[in-house]
Amino acid sequence: MKKLIKSDYLARVEGEGGFTVRIEDGKITGLNVRIFEAPRFFESFLEGRPFEDVVDFTARICGICPVAYQMTSAHAIEKIFGVEPSLPLRQLRRLMYCGEWIESHALHVYLLHGPDFFGLESAFAGKQYLETAKRGMKLKQVGNDILALLGGRPVHPVSVKVGGFYKVPEKKTLDALMPEIERCYEESLEGIKWASSLPFSNRSREAEFVSLGHPHEYPFSEGDIVSTGGLKMPPGEFLDILQEYQTEHSTALYSGIKRESSVSPYVLGPVSRLNLNHEKLPYEITGVMKDARIALPITNNEMSIIARSVELAYSFYEAMRIIRGYQTPDRSCEEFEPRAGTAVWATEAPRGTLIHRYEIDEKGNVKKCSILPPTSQNLSQMEKDIYAFVEANINKPSGFIRKETEKIMRAYDPCISCSVHVVQV
Amino acid sequence: MKRLRIGVFKFTSCDGCQLSILNLEERLLRLLDFFEIAYFREAADLPPRRQYDAAIVEGSISTQWQRKEIMEIRDKSRFLITIGACATAGGLQALRDWANVSDYKRSVYPSPDLISVFAMSTPVSEHAYVDYELWGCPIDKNALSETLVSLVIGKRPGIPVYSLCMDCKIKGIPCLLVSRAEPCLGPVTRTGCGVLCPSFGRPCYGCFGPRDGANINSLLERFRNIGLSQKETVLLLDKMNTYAYRKARIEEAH
Repeated sequence: MKKLIKSDYLARVEGEGGFTVRIEDGKITGLNVRIFEAPRFFESFLEGRPFEDVVDFTARICGICPVAYQMTSAHAIEKIFGVEPSLPLRQLRRLMYCGEWIESHALHVYLLHGPDFFGLESAFAGKQYLETAKRGMKLKQVGNDILALLGGRPVHPVSVKVGGFYKVPEKKTLDALMPEIERCYEESLEGIKWASSLPFSNRSREAEFVSLGHPHEYPFSEGDIVSTGGLKMPPGEFLDILQEYQTEHSTALYSGIKRESSVSPYVLGPVSRLNLNHEKLPYEITGVMKDARIALPITNNEMSIIARSVELAYSFYEAMRIIRGYQTPDRSCEEFEPRAGTAVWATEAPRGTLIHRYEIDEKGNVKKCSILPPTSQNLSQMEKDIYAFVEANINKPSGFIRKETEKIMRAYDPCISCSVHVVQV
Repeated sequence: MKRLRIGVFKFTSCDGCQLSILNLEERLLRLLDFFEIAYFREAADLPPRRQYDAAIVEGSISTQWQRKEIMEIRDKSRFLITIGACATAGGLQALRDWANVSDYKRSVYPSPDLISVFAMSTPVSEHAYVDYELWGCPIDKNALSETLVSLVIGKRPGIPVYSLCMDCKIKGIPCLLVSRAEPCLGPVTRTGCGVLCPSFGRPCYGCFGPRDGANINSLLERFRNIGLSQKETVLLLDKMNTYAYRKARIEEAH
């Protein structure tokens, strides 16, 4: 008996993707996650552009996480030029990253992923969910407010540049955001309890979790690559141990970690960050996690909604901490001379570790670049999860398998618009 | 009152303009009294419908499939509104229109043969009649809600089309081109962003595209006078609205 289960166009994710599963006589004979987002060739048209353009261009890869792209580009190019932004500028960048995590996580937790636990097609489809959706929108709005204050607008902010910012805010304008951030922080702690009370299946699985790790901070913009498989190395070396490969059940290209005799998939994103960095969270948040009986490490990816809710609360907490300690810096940008060189940098986009590599020539123009977004790195583990699920439920009705597979994909918060590096099949 | 049926569609883009719909936040919930959002993949799992009162389209047309799809959407919709630089002007990806796409494919993808795209990324208006265009990379959410409200009451959206300089003057920001000799695209660019870049002390880089009747060539002449090379002046135009600025320059010459 032959069965073809497919989702042509996955809803409530960013970008265009779907999947196909072929089943013959109770066995999976084909499975692939399809990306049909049309390629945009960012890496090609960046070649030859002056370094000043890079931050504005890479932002346009993703409307949901433009700051992650801006920060990764700016840091990589600063590394080439040997310039290090002062501590207050670094803190402002971290604050901007908080705004983006808030906006992106609130969107995914409350408007994209949340409805799955209530059998709803959207966050606005059921009266019983409306209050929850409104809470999400309110939290998201404050993330957007932080971005608008620091960068002019939440989508493609205009303030970040190599060396620092075009302009930095006055202390008092940041202080004005505090009451709203404090209120949302309290709400986000409630959100952790809400997320942990959702009905989860018991689909835990083995996986290698990878994220940045920093000696003192929950990672945003810098650190080594660390993993539950024992990796600890600078992002540049991590690129060297990655390998693109194909599997027999799919025609897509995947990235995995090269080990002695095999290539293995890995997971990026909030679950990985939380599993690897929870010791860096403040006591207030770990206390709420303990009360909500959240057990670490999280191995069931449906529970990514919990990890995202924890990081949402942390972003508010960190935003308050930064604003309290903020003193308007004397200068908004460090001075530097462009020079030739190559550098790799990684930061933690809301969806996971984002890695950029740039080669700049002596005139300050881009000679070559490559961009490795988190979603394309997660694809192989995502497919492995789907495979395991379908195998265990092979005799269930097609409609059930399709719906559940969609949920498995959605729980990764895939950003398909970002997946510039994925081969279309 | 019968609610207007809206469909939101996406082609080649970053999703940022669709996100602006969700960024309307509280206002979005109030707008839902007047609109039924019948299709919006980013926010809801709903099947396509046979007809829409208005199609809101993000993204440029860059594949055969998309070309077919946009023509179908046009046939199904009373109004077609494009949102953002990609749908309205081809987007940043239209930079490939001036290059060799097979070289591009080879440099990004290990198996270039698997990639099927048009050589050019073009605005929706090259393929179907567009009733209203919202410019910007990203669009301004106030312009979006003004457009939606205008649909309900049946008027033209009141969105200014004059140059950024006008609003910059109203805000009282010293001119970056005159006082600091910085290459600002403000004089030839549509207003709409809220004068963001000049407020941050940086010259406009053209998110909202050319204003009607822009005098682009003489602005570029001015840029050369302040010390930019010919190539540098062209690169300033070759960003998110490259297709529209280049087209406006050609039209200006005629």
